[in-house]
Amino acid sequence: MKRRDMLKFAVITAALATTSLITVNSAVAADKKWRIGFSQATTIEPWRAQFNKDIIAEAAKHPEVELIITDGEDKTEKQVADVENLIRQEVDALLVSPKESAGLTGAVQEAIDAKIPVFVLDRNVDTDKYVQFVGGDNKLIGEAAGQYAVELLGGKGKAKGNVVEIWGGMGTQPAHDRHDGFHEFTDKESGIKYLLDQQSGDWKQDQAYNIMATALRNNEHIDLVYGHNDPMAYGAYLAAKDAGREKEMKFIGIDGLPNEGVQLVNKGELTATFVYATPGAEGLRQAIKYLNGEKVEKTVVLPTMKITKENAPDILKANGL
Amino acid sequence: MNLILRTKLYWGLIAIFLIGVLGSPTTSSGRNIFLSAGNLLDVLRQVSTTGLIATGMTAVILTGGIDLSVGSMMAICSVVCAMLLTVPGDTSAVWLGIPSVCLAALVIGAACTRFLFLNIEKSRAAGARDAVLDRMRGVGIPAVVGLLLCALLLFYLLPQIDHKFGVIGVLLITPAVGLLFGTINGVVIVAGRLQPFIVTLAMMVTALGIARLTAGQNNAVLPVYTGSNATADFENLRSLVFGIVPMPGIFFLAAIVLYAAVLRLTPFGRYIYAIGGNEEAARLSGIDSGNIKIVAYALSGLLAGIAAVLYVAQYRQGKPDAGAGLELDAIAAVVIGGTSLMGGRGGLAGTFCGVLIFGLLSNILQLHNIDSNLQLVLKGLIIVGTVLVQERNASDILSRFQLMMPKTARNPTSAEERSSKEILSLNNIGGNENETS
Repeated sequence: MKRRDMLKFAVITAALATTSLITVNSAVAADKKWRIGFSQATTIEPWRAQFNKDIIAEAAKHPEVELIITDGEDKTEKQVADVENLIRQEVDALLVSPKESAGLTGAVQEAIDAKIPVFVLDRNVDTDKYVQFVGGDNKLIGEAAGQYAVELLGGKGKAKGNVVEIWGGMGTQPAHDRHDGFHEFTDKESGIKYLLDQQSGDWKQDQAYNIMATALRNNEHIDLVYGHNDPMAYGAYLAAKDAGREKEMKFIGIDGLPNEGVQLVNKGELTATFVYATPGAEGLRQAIKYLNGEKVEKTVVLPTMKITKENAPDILKANGL
Repeated sequence: MNLILRTKLYWGLIAIFLIGVLGSPTTSSGRNIFLSAGNLLDVLRQVSTTGLIATGMTAVILTGGIDLSVGSMMAICSVVCAMLLTVPGDTSAVWLGIPSVCLAALVIGAACTRFLFLNIEKSRAAGARDAVLDRMRGVGIPAVVGLLLCALLLFYLLPQIDHKFGVIGVLLITPAVGLLFGTINGVVIVAGRLQPFIVTLAMMVTALGIARLTAGQNNAVLPVYTGSNATADFENLRSLVFGIVPMPGIFFLAAIVLYAAVLRLTPFGRYIYAIGGNEEAARLSGIDSGNIKIVAYALSGLLAGIAAVLYVAQYRQGKPDAGAGLELDAIAAVVIGGTSLMGGRGGLAGTFCGVLIFGLLSNILQLHNIDSNLQLVLKGLIIVGTVLVQERNASDILSRFQLMMPKTARNPTSAEERSSKEILSLNNIGGNENETS
C-alpha cells in the first residue's frame, strides 16, 4: 500500500514538474503590451486555415501584440468554452469568428459584460453590443460572379446558355446569399436556362462530383457551372473531365484561396473564382487601432476580387506559392 | 485502510486539480486564473451536459450494456425543445412530444400505483389473498390512475399548441421524448435478446434521422431553431443561481446525487449491480433482470432529454447535430471513473470524477493556450496516464515488463523483489474497488 502511494506521488510530481515547465514557456510573453484572444470556429476547412494563417501573419507585424488563438473544433460547446476561457484570462480584446450566430451569442454577451471589447468576424451574432463586425458580403460576391457569368455567355441582353448551379448547404445563409446575388444578373437574361433545381453539394467536392455526373448524363449541353465554392466547382470539373466534356463548359467558383481556387484557375481548370476574403488580418488591425484609442467603424465589409488566368500567377507569387 | 482504498477513485482528480492549481497562469494583477471561482464554475457549466449523459450511461454500463444513442437522443430532444419554444402550431415536434408525454404519464402513473399496491400487499399478512382483487390491482386500478394522469397533462398542454409552449410544458415534454426513445432501446434489447451495442447503434442512426425529419428540410444542412425568440422564462435555465452557481451545473449535481442515492439505497440499485456482476445468477435468484435493464436504458434517455433542455437554454438553439460524438465522451468519463465495461463494478462517484477530470483537463490545456492540435495529443496521453495511476500500481506494470523479458532476468534474487511480488499478489485482487456496500 505504502509503496504504491509513493509511486503515485512520484508520478504526480513528475506531472507537476512538466506543467511548471509549460508554464515557464507560456510566461515568456509577459512583456507584450496587448493580449488579444481570437476564438476560431474550426481549423480543418481550408478557408479557416487560411484565415488563421492571415491573422498570424498580421500579428507578426505587431511586436507589441500577443495573439492567443483557440480552436472550437467545429463544436458550439467547445467554442463557447474557449471564449469563456479567454474571458478568464482577461484578454484586452476578443476576436470571435462564430460557428453559429445563435450558439455564440451568449458567450459574446458574457465577454461584453466583462468589459472586453469584442470584434465579430465573418459571421454575425444576435446582439449589436460588440465593437465591430468584419466580414465579406456573400451577396456582393454572388453579384460579381453573376455579372461575369453573363459576360461569359454572350454579354448583357444577348447571353444564352445552360447553367448548372451547385449549392452549398441548403438553409445556410452564405449559400442563399451567393445564390441570390448571382441571380440578380442572370435572371434578367431570357436566354439563360437553369438545369438543376436547388441541388446541394454541402460545400464538398465529392458531393458536387456526383451531382454533376448526373447532370451530365441528363443534359446534352451545359455551358456554365457555378459552384458556391471552389472545391464544388472543381468537383464538377472533374466529373466533366471524366465524361470527356470539360472543354465545352466554363467553371466558376467562389472563395479564391491561394492554395486552392487560385491554383485551379492558374491551371486552367476553373475559369474564374471570386475572393471571399478572410477577415483575420483586417480584424486584428482594427482591434489594435481600437486598443490604441482610435475610433473604428461599426461594420467593415471586405471587398471581393475576380481571379482569372491573367492575375492568378501574381497572386500565387504574392503568397509565396 | 478502507478510506485509503476508497480515495483511490479520486487520485486522478486530485492529480489533475493540483496540476491545474500549481501550473496555472496568473492574470496581470497576479491572481491565479485556474482557481478563480468564475473559472471553476465555468468548468462545472461546461461539463453539465456530458455529465448528465454520463450519469445515465453509468447505470447502463453497470448492467453490462452500453448506450451509443445518447447523442442522437439529445439531438432529437433539442430539436423538439427548440421548436416547442419558438414555432407555434402543430409542428412535427408536437406530434412527437405530446404522445411521448402521454405514454410516459400512463406508464409512470400505472407503475407507481402498482408499486404502492405491491408494498401494501407485502405488509399484509401472508396467505390472505383474493384473486379478483389481485387482478384488479395488477391491471385495473393502475391503468385508471395512469389514464387520469395522462388526461390531466393533456388538459394542461393542448391549449398551448396554438401559441408557443411555456417552460413547464417544455420541461415536461422534452425529457419525455428522451424517455420514450430510451425505453424503446431497453425493450428491444430485452425482448429481442440482442446486443445493446447493436440496438443502440441502430437507435443512434434512427434517432438522428428522426431529428432531421422533425427539423424539416432535406438531408443537406438543416435549419437551426434559435431560442432567441423563446419565452423569457426559459432564459432562467441558463442563469446563475444566487448569482454564483450556473443552473446547468445544479441540474447535473442534482441528477448525479439522486441517481447515486438510488443506486446505493434502493433494491433497484442493488439489482443493477447484481445483473452486471452475473446476469444468470441474478435471474436465478429471482431478480426480474429484463425490467431492471429497461428502466436503466429509459433513464439514460430521460437524462439525455434533460441535457437537451440545458443545451437549448445555454446555446439558444436546438439542432440535429447537437450532441454529436457525445456518447464517446460520456463513455470515456464513465470508464475513467473506474466503472468496468464488463458491468457490475464501479459507480457514480467515479463517474463524477471522470467527468470533472475531462472538464478540468480541457480547461487547463486551454488556459495554457497550447496549440489545439497538440491539446488532442496531450488529452489522450493524460487520460491513459490518469487511468493508469488510478487502476494500477507501478510494481504491477514493472512485473509485466519482467514477464516479457528472457527467463534469466526474471529470477527474483533480492528479498526486496520477492516481497514486492507478494505485495503484488495481494494487491491484484480487483483492479478497482467495488462501490457497493
